[in-house]
Amino acid sequence: MLQYAAIILFVIGLYGILSQRNVIKIILSLNILEIGLNLFIISVGYVEGGIAPILTSTNNTSNTVFVDPLPQALVLTAIVIGVGTTALGLALAKKMYQKYGTFEIDEMGAE
Amino acid sequence: MSAVFLIVVPILVAFISILFKKAAPYLLLIASFANVIMLYFLSPETILIGGYGAPYGISLIVSNFSIASLYIVNILFFLVVALTIKDFKKLSSILLVALAGLNGLLLTGDLFNLFVFIEISGIAAYLITTTNNKPLATFNYLVLGTVGSSFYLLGLIILYNMFGTLNMADLVSEITSSGINPLAVSLPFLFMFIGLGVEAKLLPFNGWVKGILGSSNKLSGPMIASVYAAAIGLLFGNLLNTYMFTFDSKIQLIIIVVLLGSITAGEAMAYASTKVKEILLFSSIAQAGIVILVFINGLVGLGLVLVMANAFAKFVLFMVITQAESEIGNDDVDALQGLFVENKIVGAAFTVSTLSILGLPLFLGFVVKLNVLISFISLDKFLFPVVILITSIVEGVYFIKLLIKLWHKEDNAPIIRFDFILKYVVVIIALLLVAYGLLFSEVSDLVNYVATSIGGIL
Repeated sequence: MLQYAAIILFVIGLYGILSQRNVIKIILSLNILEIGLNLFIISVGYVEGGIAPILTSTNNTSNTVFVDPLPQALVLTAIVIGVGTTALGLALAKKMYQKYGTFEIDEMGAE
Repeated sequence: MSAVFLIVVPILVAFISILFKKAAPYLLLIASFANVIMLYFLSPETILIGGYGAPYGISLIVSNFSIASLYIVNILFFLVVALTIKDFKKLSSILLVALAGLNGLLLTGDLFNLFVFIEISGIAAYLITTTNNKPLATFNYLVLGTVGSSFYLLGLIILYNMFGTLNMADLVSEITSSGINPLAVSLPFLFMFIGLGVEAKLLPFNGWVKGILGSSNKLSGPMIASVYAAAIGLLFGNLLNTYMFTFDSKIQLIIIVVLLGSITAGEAMAYASTKVKEILLFSSIAQAGIVILVFINGLVGLGLVLVMANAFAKFVLFMVITQAESEIGNDDVDALQGLFVENKIVGAAFTVSTLSILGLPLFLGFVVKLNVLISFISLDKFLFPVVILITSIVEGVYFIKLLIKLWHKEDNAPIIRFDFILKYVVVIIALLLVAYGLLFSEVSDLVNYVATSIGGIL
């Protein structure tokens, strides 16, 4: 079920990127797309009834069900990269605003 | 010498360069030169990061193919940086990160690690293109690049879910041993292909190219058109041949149609352009299509030499044109008319590089193109040689037209003072293009050397 929600978010983000003409809205859409993707990655590692993959004094038997920790590590990296690109996108948006006085791509004219 | 240093040294120096801003350009030059030197000590091996055995840890694969690729990318990177850094001192740290990212792309044997390196080199590329002062074009590049790498990530996660591994070689053996229908893995591979296609300038994901390369400067032009294009082309070669990207035959047909479309559209648009940089950028879209077509048909060695010939020639062309544009302030063919009347040496190097891309005899481009055509015919694929030959004729028309314009003007020919070192570098590259065009045996040695790659070992 979570997978469907994640893919729907991914597609909403993609639709936003394709349909919006406002720089900030495009960046937001990009973020929605990334969140969808990150949720999808997490959902891949989910195991029904699984616990956090940490051995403790109470959870140390070999038949304990753990969720897959690898997608969690991957998603952490993906989030950091996403934040980096968002920051860069916003910096470019600021630059565009300084240059053209607007966030609307259509009003910026041809470069 | 471990190949890890090729990635670690630039990253480490990048951090140091932030602390010592004044020394940053020198650190960049030293680090990028040291990388070229380090390549000499590399030998084929598999490096396990942190000692975790494959497929659990991240492994770096040093094969003959990756060593040859690293030579091409690192030498070009050093040349671009050495010739332009004095005007772009602020970018030193970013360029170091870019170098680490590009080396990582060519070395890594792990799918997710590859995603990280794509993003690192991608973010560095966006920052390099901010020097064009066209924020909207850079923003377009950033959005397309990010969406592309998101698709790549989606594809790789689906593969992870199916086979439970991220190690490329392990994944290939899992796919083969599971006996799965190729159609079932085509979707994730297609997603990954789309992701990489953005950086590789493939149709229809190349919307950013015109904005970026059309307004490129001395640094961003050669860096994106030559260094980055070479790295991404070689990455495709690595993925398509050494490892994976197994497509169902129907999907492969679609990809080939897209590639052929990319080649013809690129050449047609170059023909219609009136600005020198646009001619060059559209022609490089077509070249990228040919490179991937060659790799997808399993011609590893030839593909590598083709990338090398194109990258060095494009380096000369973009260097000369962006330098001339920065003085004249315009890159219309008419504004640059007669450019080489007073600059005969640079003009000769430019002409040699153009003719090499075109594939005329005497030059490296000819040897490669001829071999590519012969190989396609021996593989019974007659359509590709026909398309390549027809587009080469179109290419010939616009390049010869361009050369005639640049060499002829009755009066008021523009006089441009080309940098002393730049003159030497472009002439040496042009001489090498001629030398390798005459030494068939050397080229075929390189092709064979690359083909005996050890890729695919865990």
